[in-house]
Amino acid sequence: MNMRGAVSIVGVGSSGLSRSSTETPITMAERAVSMALADAGLERRQIDGLVNQIGSPRGPDYDRAASLLGLEVRFGAQPWSHGRFAATVLQHAAMALTWGLADYVLCLAAYRSSNFGKHGSKERNTYAESLRDGGGPHAETPHTGLTAPSGATALATQRYFHKYGIDPAKLAAIPLAFRRHARLNPGAVMQGELDLDKYLKSRYIIEPLRLLDCSVIVDGAVAMILTRTDRARDCPKAPVKLLGVQGLHAGPNEFIFGLRGLGIDQASVFDEQPRWQDQLVYRMAGVGPKDIGTLHIYDAFSPQLLFVLERFGFCAPGEAADWVQGGRIELGGELPCNTSGGHLSEGQLNGWGQILEIVKQLRGEAGARQIQDLRLAQWATTVGDSIIFGLDA
Amino acid sequence: MTAIIKRTFPIDPAQLLPAITPDNEPFWSALTKGHLQLQACDGCGKVRYPIAPVCPHCGGNEWKWRQMSGEGTVFSFARFHRSYLPEFEDLMPYVVASVELAEGVRIFGRLVGRDVKPQIGQPVRLVIEEWPDGRCVAAFELV
Ligand SMILES: [Zn+2]
Repeated sequence: MNMRGAVSIVGVGSSGLSRSSTETPITMAERAVSMALADAGLERRQIDGLVNQIGSPRGPDYDRAASLLGLEVRFGAQPWSHGRFAATVLQHAAMALTWGLADYVLCLAAYRSSNFGKHGSKERNTYAESLRDGGGPHAETPHTGLTAPSGATALATQRYFHKYGIDPAKLAAIPLAFRRHARLNPGAVMQGELDLDKYLKSRYIIEPLRLLDCSVIVDGAVAMILTRTDRARDCPKAPVKLLGVQGLHAGPNEFIFGLRGLGIDQASVFDEQPRWQDQLVYRMAGVGPKDIGTLHIYDAFSPQLLFVLERFGFCAPGEAADWVQGGRIELGGELPCNTSGGHLSEGQLNGWGQILEIVKQLRGEAGARQIQDLRLAQWATTVGDSIIFGLDA
Repeated sequence: MTAIIKRTFPIDPAQLLPAITPDNEPFWSALTKGHLQLQACDGCGKVRYPIAPVCPHCGGNEWKWRQMSGEGTVFSFARFHRSYLPEFEDLMPYVVASVELAEGVRIFGRLVGRDVKPQIGQPVRLVIEEWPDGRCVAAFELV
């Protein structure tokens, strides 16, 4: 059964992002949902599926979201209250649609983080998870002092630099590129100009990661409506098709913010060299990394772009830090990445800003950031989940 | 003989350490006796960490606790310039390492001492930190 292009995004909406919102998540959600319904040309009563992200205490859970937003759904779901599930949310919607569990699925991410403590501190709502036997959701072990998602990411990055003999200053190309993109996006929260000097003067948070390597947490809501492509012709906008998908990986060799083979936590040590044949997302879409016009990633921290480029075969092991230099990942370059500014500069809404940007880019609605003649856009993360989007069948 | 370092700071261990369970109790109680012990698979002989009911290498369910030598090398390290937890405030900036033990398994631990400047590959030795409540945790010192 080939599901290539069987499901499409037909409507999108956003509340806008804010570093500190005074609105409640459900109010932000409603603004995004109304916008997505209008964009899709649908009535609220037509929505019969809901996949909700983040949930309590930062946002509404799927049950309250459905009742407070006036949605009568026959398929409801919600992943664990962490950020990594944007593609998983869309994939659940796609599976529900292809199995006939629903005809129009609303994917909703709505939450406010600014009223919770810093990630890694006891004030954070998820702190207790770091005391799980075997470690926290980002390999935290608080009794060693290893806390915060940036902790094990710093260990991965240090090892990566050592393994391939990389000058840490090369990392700067990533936050600088994403900031240039953000300055073309009025909705991005970080608008100040950045240069290498400012990057190198930025203080270390967890060395080798600097402040400017870390994403900017924001409050906001994004809504997307998905349907089977055979129904999408009733919708006014060009359907953005899911041409290939690949799930989030987990296991002894996976670390959420690292690269397979780096040996963080209990992972084995090897050079990650993916073969196109091993990657469902490319196989299903019938394309390879060279066909992708824009890449969007979960950049909680800047090294994640290096790791994604190697994991998905855009370049060979150890080459990514050189590969990203010279404007290659910027608008106008060979592979523009995170063209809305990404988590580092647009704001960290768990990948939903990036997926919204993919929809806008493919529809030709990206304004000053528009990539010309774009055919294929890819979402991909360090733990392997991915979606290739396009307009063509 | 493994060095034992006493740390004095106000601490509620429940806020920093996993709860003791039937699975992990031998690991934590060995530390209070000055030993680091991990699970070694009866099938393939490999040591594993974290504590798990099955060997990730061969799938075997049979295993025994094995005392580690306490020798290892720095596999990677990260220096914390931001304090997230009050219990580590007095140690700032402190270094956490991923240590590859001589037995072939990696474990996280803080590198003790002020202004430590580790190199990847540098030898380290196990030290045990004794906390005010009596619980003990594994840490490492540069050799
Ligand atoms: Zn075994």
